[in-house]
Order: sequence, then C-alpha cells, then structure tokens
Amino acid sequence: MTAATATTTTPAARAVKTRRFRQHRTFYLMVSPFFVLFGIFGLLPIIAAIWIGLTDWDGLNPAKFVGLANYATILTDPLFAKAVGNTIFIWIGSTVITCGLAFVLAYLINEYVLVGGGTLRMVFLLPMLAAPAVIAIIMSVLFSTNAGLMNAALSVLTGDRVTFDWLASTGWIKPIVIVMITWRFLGFHLLLFVAGLQSVPRELYDAARVDGANGRQVFWRVTVPLMLPIIFFSATSSTVGAFQLFDEPFVLTNGSGGTDQAAEVMGTMLFRTAFTEFEFGTASALSWIMFALIAVFTIVNSRLLRVRT
Amino acid sequence: MARRVITAWIWLIALVFVFPFYWMLVLATHSNDDIYKFPPPLLPGGNLSENWDRLLEVVALPQAVFNSVLVALAHTALVLLLSSLVGFGFARFRDAPGAKWMWRFVLATIFVPGLVGLIPWYVLIARLGWIDTLWPLIIPGAANGFAVFWMRQIILQTVPPDLYDAARIDGAGDWRTYWTVVLPLIRPGLGALGIWTFMATWTAFQIPLIVLNSQSNFTLPLAIASLNTLYGQDTAAVMLGSVISVLPIFIAFVLAGKQFMAGLTAGALKG
Repeated sequence: MTAATATTTTPAARAVKTRRFRQHRTFYLMVSPFFVLFGIFGLLPIIAAIWIGLTDWDGLNPAKFVGLANYATILTDPLFAKAVGNTIFIWIGSTVITCGLAFVLAYLINEYVLVGGGTLRMVFLLPMLAAPAVIAIIMSVLFSTNAGLMNAALSVLTGDRVTFDWLASTGWIKPIVIVMITWRFLGFHLLLFVAGLQSVPRELYDAARVDGANGRQVFWRVTVPLMLPIIFFSATSSTVGAFQLFDEPFVLTNGSGGTDQAAEVMGTMLFRTAFTEFEFGTASALSWIMFALIAVFTIVNSRLLRVRT
Repeated sequence: MARRVITAWIWLIALVFVFPFYWMLVLATHSNDDIYKFPPPLLPGGNLSENWDRLLEVVALPQAVFNSVLVALAHTALVLLLSSLVGFGFARFRDAPGAKWMWRFVLATIFVPGLVGLIPWYVLIARLGWIDTLWPLIIPGAANGFAVFWMRQIILQTVPPDLYDAARIDGAGDWRTYWTVVLPLIRPGLGALGIWTFMATWTAFQIPLIVLNSQSNFTLPLAIASLNTLYGQDTAAVMLGSVISVLPIFIAFVLAGKQFMAGLTAGALKG
C-alpha cells in the first residue's frame, strides 16, 4: 500500500520539485559566486589539508603516505609544547586585559564622560588602523636599549642610566606581545561594549533603582547579565584571534620566535614549519591540531560564560 | 564633580594610548644622533627632509603605497559586489529549495579559521602561477561569509518586500532590481563594510608575507617590515616610513569615522 502510493506520488512530487528549482534559477546563479570561490579557495584547501597532514611532503617531491606520524611528531615535539604554552599565556593575558579594560572603560565612558565620547572611541580605535608591522616597530623602539622611552623613564625614576634589553629577555617578550595586542585591539572591544551598553533600556536601571538596588547591585544584577552576549562575543573573538596569533610575535622578533623561542606561538610555528623548513605534511597536521584547539576553546568559552547566567 | 574627574582621567588614558603614534612622528623628524641622546626628544625636530631623502633611497615606498592602494581598492570592490549580490539572493529568495541549508553553510564558514587550509591554499596559489603577484590578495578572500551575512541583514532591514513587487510591475527583472533598486538603498551598509574591508586589507600581513617575494610587489606592511629588518639602525627613516604608511588610513578614518564604527559593531549586535 505504502509502496504503491510512493510510486504514484514520486513522479509528481519530483516534477513539482524540478519546477521549483527552475523557478529559482536566478537565486542559484546569484549565490553561486560565493560557493564557487569558497569551494576553490576555502573548502578544497581544508579538505586537502587532511590528506597532506597524513603525508611526508616538501611541496616539490612526490608525497609519501606516513599515516599519523606527523601528529605523533608534533605532539612529542618539546617546541610544540612550548608554543602551546606561550599561546595560552598570551591568550589568557590578552583576553583578560583587553576585554576587562575595554569593559571598564566603556562603562565609565557611557556613564560618566561628559564631553567627546565619540571622539574618545575614535582615539582608542586608531591603533587598529596601523599595520602590525608599524605597531611592532613603535613597540620595539619604545622598549629598545638605548633610545627607548621605557628605559629612559626607568632611568629618570631610579636615577641610574638603565639599558635593559627588553626584547631579548625571555621573561618580558610575552608581556610585550600582550601589550601590543591590547594596544591594537582595545578600541574594537571598547566599541562593542559601548554599543552594547547603549542598547540597554534606561527603564531597566530605573526599575532596579525603584526596587532599592544600589549602584553596585545594578551593575552586577542588571548590566553584566544583559551584556553577557557581548562579553561572550568579545572573549570569543579574542580567543580565536589568539590561537591564530601570528603578526605580533612574528614582527616583534623579526621572525625568529625570540630568544630561546620565548615568543614562539602556534601560528609562527606553523609558518616556520611550512615556509622555512618546507615540511608541508607536518604543517598541515599542525593546522588541524590548531583547528581542534580553537574549536575546543570556543566551546569552553561559551560554557563558562553561559554557566554564569 | 566625580563625573568631571573621571572624564579627565579617561582623556588622560586616551592620550597615553595614542602617545606612541605622536612619538613616532617626533622621531621621524629627528636625526639618528638626536634619537639616541638622553633624555630622548619629545618635541618635533628639523630633520624631516633629510630623513625623507634617505628613506626614498633605500625602499620603493611609492611603489608599495601604489600596490597597497590597488590591492585594497580592488579587493574591497570585489567583496562589496559579491557579498551584496549573494546577500540579496539570500534575502530575496528565502523559500528556494535548499536555500536554508545553503545559508547555514555560509554561516558556518564564518567560524572556520583561515589558517586550517593554509598549506594547500599556498600550493593552489602556486599551481595557478599566482606566487609573487597581487592576485591572491584580491580574489580568494572575496568569498567572505561574514560580509554576505552582513549584507543580507542590511537588505532585510532596509528594503521592504513591497518594493520587489513594485519593481516587477515596472518590468524590472531580478538582476535589474538588484542593481537599480537594492544597491542604491543599501549604500550606508556598503560604506561601512567597505571601510572595514579596506582597513583589514590595508593592514594584512601574513598572506602578503607568504605569497610576495620581490620588493616591487610588496604592500606597505611588508615594505615597512623589510625596511626594519634591513635598516633597523636608521630609526629615523624607519619611523618616517611608518608615519607614511599610517597617514592615508588615519585621514580616511577621520573623514569617515562614524561609518567605520558602525561597520565594526554591526556584526556583534545585529546577529
């Protein structure tokens, strides 16, 4: 019975379907540029990376299938552990400082600033317009041994001529990378938070006040919960950025990874493996490990922030 | 009273925040001898033209500016055209078979980090003969899921569906409707996305570093980075080069700051 109905309705249904497809030919034509371009330059490479990651390949000679050997090599490489450690250090440092500072500043600008709020936001955005190479050059001069303002300021404070080599120090290079990231992206996060704070209806604050809540209670019980989606977006984009981090440590250390690889992160390790050592197989495997880590941390992020609501 | 104090403090923080740019300008106008004196100079000096002459001798800066402008303009134009067209398709024909799934796919692409396919991407670019050309900076990134998402939202918000019927009655086909009705209406959205794309292209570093080899093809960030590696001792010239690389975009930003800021926040708040 069911089989009979199926055979009688299918051709008709198929005809309707074909007609609907034909009617929407314009739609498929209009959206096809995206799918064609993304298919070639986005999807194809990602799929190919799975295969290349299972081979030993230098980009020129024929690839040799090695199975999961590349993954084993990476996971047992002490430099990978170091790069992951550095990435996590810079990730946590830059996310906490950038998002935290941006939220506090946005709150203060929104609640208290009398003049020039719009100009202020533009001022904080300026570093984002500069190429990372430019920001790195400014940073490296600020922290340079002889002409650096940092050492000059310390010299004035201590009364001694300080000539500390900040950029060659293994302890300071990561904090300097964090300062650089914060400087570059603070304005972006600030802008998000200001826009978010302005979208909170004033009546909610008034209602909370009427119910007898003080300033701190209003902040924690009204402002923060309403801002959670934006805090989440801000922290997530900072996390995704940190795990793909490349520009800042690369230009700050002139591509060297810093003294004793103290500023080597996963992004610079991927670059070096692929384009200095020409180990395309290992680099592809590394890129998949990075992908997995980014996915995991994005999920952790969302869980952490959702638990609090 | 408290408000006035807080305002003053925040302005002070803002000044400290942009001070490094001011200092870059100061160093660009001094001789290298002045720069290494203690205490370092904090006011502009009179050595600008000598630094400029030296800078032009060592690096093809005008060529780099030209390359950067060309890449940023071409890529931005392509992104705007492609994403507005695709966004229009998704906004207009929501009940086409498969449209829902195709849209989910577009959204999913936003969350895929670009680095994952980097090596095969590079191999593909090499096979196309695009290494050391500006093409890989213009074409591949034009399929941008976020830009499509943003254009679709703008079109859904600003173009009333009645307008499509009116256009049809007037005898306009879908393509003509896109070009003569939709595009003019979404100009502010295009502007915001355009500035945002332009800026991202202008500061891009990693992909140009990977695909460009010769000085004459360098974009500004690469030229500045190579200037620093080769002539790092000449701090004054390097600083002047940096000033020149940020000047055009700073001016553009001052002129169109509002649209720029709208473009940046749109993704997070209109989702």
